[in-house]
Amino acid sequence: MKKALSIMLALIMVIGLFAACGKTTDTTTPASPGTTSQAPTTSSEAPAPQPAAEEGKVFNIYAWNEEFKGFFEKYYKVPEGITVNWIINPSDGGVYQDKLDAALLAQESAAPDEKVDMFLAEADYILKYVNSDFTLDVSTIGVKEAPTMYKYTVQAASDANGAMKGVSFQCCPAALIYRRSIAKDVIGTDDPVKVQEALSDWSKFDAVAAQAKAKGYYMTASYVETYRTFSNNCSMPWVDSNNKLQFDPMILAWIKQAKEYLEKGYTLPAGIWDDEKNQQMFKTGKTMCFFGPAWYYNFCMGNAMDPEKGCYGDWAICQGPQAYFWGGTWLLAPKGTDNPTMLKDVMDAFTINEEICSNLVKNEMQFSNNSAVNEKFANDPNYGNAFLGGQNDTAVFVELAKNIRFEHKTPYDQLLNENITGVFLDYFKGNITEEQAYQNFYKFVNEKYPAIITP
Amino acid sequence: MKSYTDAENRKARLMLYISRTVVYVILIFLTILCLFSFYMLFINATRSNAQLQAGFRLLPQDNFFNNFRNAWNDVSINIPVGLKNSFIIAALTSILTAYFSALTAYGIHVYDFRGRRFAFVFILAVMMIPPQVGAVGFVQICYQLKLTNNFLPLILPSISAPVVFFYMKQYMESVLTLDIVEAARCDGSGEFYTFNKIVLPIMRPAIAVQMIFSFVASWNNYFIPALLLDKAEKKTVPIMIAQLRSADYSKFDMGKVYMFILLAILPVIIVYVFLSKLIVKGVSAGALKG
Amino acid sequence: MSEYREQKIAVRHKSISYAKWGYLFIAPFFIVYIICTLIPQFLTIYNSFFENYMDGLRHVGPNFVGFNNYVRLFTPDSNGVIGILKYSANTLIIWIMGAIPQFVIAMLLALFFTSGRLNIRGQSFFKAVIYMPNLIMASAFSMLFFTLFSNVGPVNQMLQQMGITDKTIDFFGITIYVRSLIALMNFLMWFGNTTILFMSGIMGIDQELFESAKIDGASSSKVFFKITLPLLMPIVVYVVITAMIGGLQMFDVPQVLTNRMGAPDRTTMTIVMFLNSYLTPSKNYGMSGAISVYLFVLTSLLSIFVYRGMIRQYRSRIR
Repeated sequence: MKKALSIMLALIMVIGLFAACGKTTDTTTPASPGTTSQAPTTSSEAPAPQPAAEEGKVFNIYAWNEEFKGFFEKYYKVPEGITVNWIINPSDGGVYQDKLDAALLAQESAAPDEKVDMFLAEADYILKYVNSDFTLDVSTIGVKEAPTMYKYTVQAASDANGAMKGVSFQCCPAALIYRRSIAKDVIGTDDPVKVQEALSDWSKFDAVAAQAKAKGYYMTASYVETYRTFSNNCSMPWVDSNNKLQFDPMILAWIKQAKEYLEKGYTLPAGIWDDEKNQQMFKTGKTMCFFGPAWYYNFCMGNAMDPEKGCYGDWAICQGPQAYFWGGTWLLAPKGTDNPTMLKDVMDAFTINEEICSNLVKNEMQFSNNSAVNEKFANDPNYGNAFLGGQNDTAVFVELAKNIRFEHKTPYDQLLNENITGVFLDYFKGNITEEQAYQNFYKFVNEKYPAIITP
Repeated sequence: MKSYTDAENRKARLMLYISRTVVYVILIFLTILCLFSFYMLFINATRSNAQLQAGFRLLPQDNFFNNFRNAWNDVSINIPVGLKNSFIIAALTSILTAYFSALTAYGIHVYDFRGRRFAFVFILAVMMIPPQVGAVGFVQICYQLKLTNNFLPLILPSISAPVVFFYMKQYMESVLTLDIVEAARCDGSGEFYTFNKIVLPIMRPAIAVQMIFSFVASWNNYFIPALLLDKAEKKTVPIMIAQLRSADYSKFDMGKVYMFILLAILPVIIVYVFLSKLIVKGVSAGALKG
Repeated sequence: MSEYREQKIAVRHKSISYAKWGYLFIAPFFIVYIICTLIPQFLTIYNSFFENYMDGLRHVGPNFVGFNNYVRLFTPDSNGVIGILKYSANTLIIWIMGAIPQFVIAMLLALFFTSGRLNIRGQSFFKAVIYMPNLIMASAFSMLFFTLFSNVGPVNQMLQQMGITDKTIDFFGITIYVRSLIALMNFLMWFGNTTILFMSGIMGIDQELFESAKIDGASSSKVFFKITLPLLMPIVVYVVITAMIGGLQMFDVPQVLTNRMGAPDRTTMTIVMFLNSYLTPSKNYGMSGAISVYLFVLTSLLSIFVYRGMIRQYRSRIR
């Protein structure tokens, strides 16, 4: 018995030791708590010349969905002898970033064919990777900022020292998307220029909302609908230099608007992806305005495009009360990739290759990250989008893209932006006081981001 | 035996008739409640994405085969592979769980050894630790051992299932007397032989029940597999479903999603129907012996 | 290991001791348990005394902080609400709302099915059906319920068509409704399971006892309370305790149904949802470790309490 016990103890200790060893290697960048939100920035790293001859045979791409994979397989010609391996994990529940982080942390010790060679990131959390030591300054592999790239896409992919860590294949200026027939009924016109005049600032927007309500319409179909127009125009980041949570006046303005709109019945208590909202896109819907970039009406307005119940062609876009952007997917370069040549080639293909970018605009209804290509379509009198009643949306977006600011971002934005709306819904519905809603939001922040200091 | 008068007899029969009716009403009500979600799943799997968006319906629509084709032929989500992977893991898990839990319960139930009481109390105690957080450490260790994209860490832990052990132990307490074991020993049966050939058959109802439970639990398990498997050829069905649900908006086809869920639960239902016969048989067999 | 085995065999030759078989039979369980569960769990408890989390890709800690994580857990917010206690109450309330009908109906069904007098037809069909909700993935089941009860869902449509209400009922905005829905789903998912467990227990009872009770002319309620229930007590204790442990770990259903928020006002946030919230994305092993230790203590206390209470009942019944 004693012997058995000692064997077990020994076993526990061995495994314990092993686990402990594991832990120490895990601690990649030791840092004291409560340091600033700006992740440690690397001071000018010497570009390591890559041995061109010995490059990997497997090109691993980490992604959370199939969108880019579709474009890639359609338009990019993979160099001979290289296998492209897609590692796709759902972003639901943070699985994608979990896996990606684990792979990046293990990048150094990974076998050449297992190394991450490229990964995708969204605007809301791109900073987490760009400002880390795990991404590669792409100038070292020959990727340069092209004059046709939109400034903000470069800014978003650049770290604090200005080193570019990747590129975006799309540009995401967002617009106000309205139902022509409802606009005619409420404002008296469906002409984008005149509608824009009627909705050019928030007080006008409020006034029209009241008129719409009087006629039995909703101004928007979700209380979250306008959130991005506020949150992507903030004048300060979610956390200050001491990592203290702060509320930008824009966020406070949205809270005020959402409360008012829900109380007055201008909008619905539905989330941004809820069925309740999506049903408003049918012909029978009573909602005048939706907000989103090009990818939004192409991908998320399936109900409006439904041949039987939809209202294809009864739509148009204009800038709306405030220019803004929403979303976007960046291709980032991980440090330690063994396929630098192909990586550069892929990045160039989806940014400066005019043929591919034209295809993205023409066939995929994307707004590409190549201003020359976009302008070509914007100036083409024969180019128009039938869904928008023939309106040339690329021309509108070309104008809107000039106003995009990618500023005051933090690595925490994704969850803060996606959840403040849900947390405050209880307050908007009148279940709890505003103060309680703030308390609940602080609790949420404490759980998700221990580094952020809440009041 | 008491003798009943005619009137008493008639009254008893009427009572039986009424209580039978009540029982059937209850059963039918519960059946509807239980089958409703399956029915909805089936109906939704016959509808296209646009039809689903248009609202709720009680009658099937015409997109069943369309959805089936879309789901079955999906390039990135290879459902036959997923079904195969899930089946391997779930089958091995359920066998290991049932066998080793019974073995452990038997070891503690029948043998007298030092530390026996401690072992029992220990297992009861650890049953109360929430699995979630142990799981996180477990995943960390798997990463260290490079056991990702490997079925072993998903199957092996099923050997130690405290809850199943507890059930087996309780069951043994009510059906297994030490006399049986003693009798076997007198016949010259070895200890393993006794367990495998005499005790296991007695335990059949319990084993069948726990095998179903663990098969289903393993089949539906998402949390740990999602953290350990990411290669397309290793993914299990729930991982694929999660992937389908969070697919990009261009492919957000709910009809396909419902079809996928339907395909995902079908094998479990088949296995269940198959094993449920075994349970009924096993339960009556066990009852006779008891 | 082999050395140990030889020694034990030597012991056996001296006197017939079966102890070594006991060790041998439980060895696989314990070895696997230690490797796959105990060590990770030790890490958990150990972690609960450290500050240890990811801030993006930056690992903070582990720094020893003593009981700080526990202190934080029990610190009330400015409204005087202690989060963890609120979530514990939520969890228990929702569990009890589902568990009471679950036990009562499962017991009734088990009695119906095993009653020779009632002689229910189509038993295997009913038995197969009541267990079926457990086969659906909890997340898929919750998704379905979400669509059913949403503001534009069929339940609301039906209620309005039947004139029961003229306003949309916000099922996911009112605490009692959300809790009831979660309890209903838990009930549906688990009553079949409990029924099967009760049935296998009842069928394990010596039939002669029922026969002799019938001969003595005992009423069915008397048979139930004097024979069935006492003899079924080991299984009942098992069912209640495991159901409670499962209930305290309630997670999937409220997580999906309320989209991780525990809405409204965190009144459907369960302990494990709270714990899970700390795990993604920050992998806060310190706080989640502290919550698991708390959950362990709470579960142990409640289990002992329930076990003691039920065993006492059991003993008094036997007498």
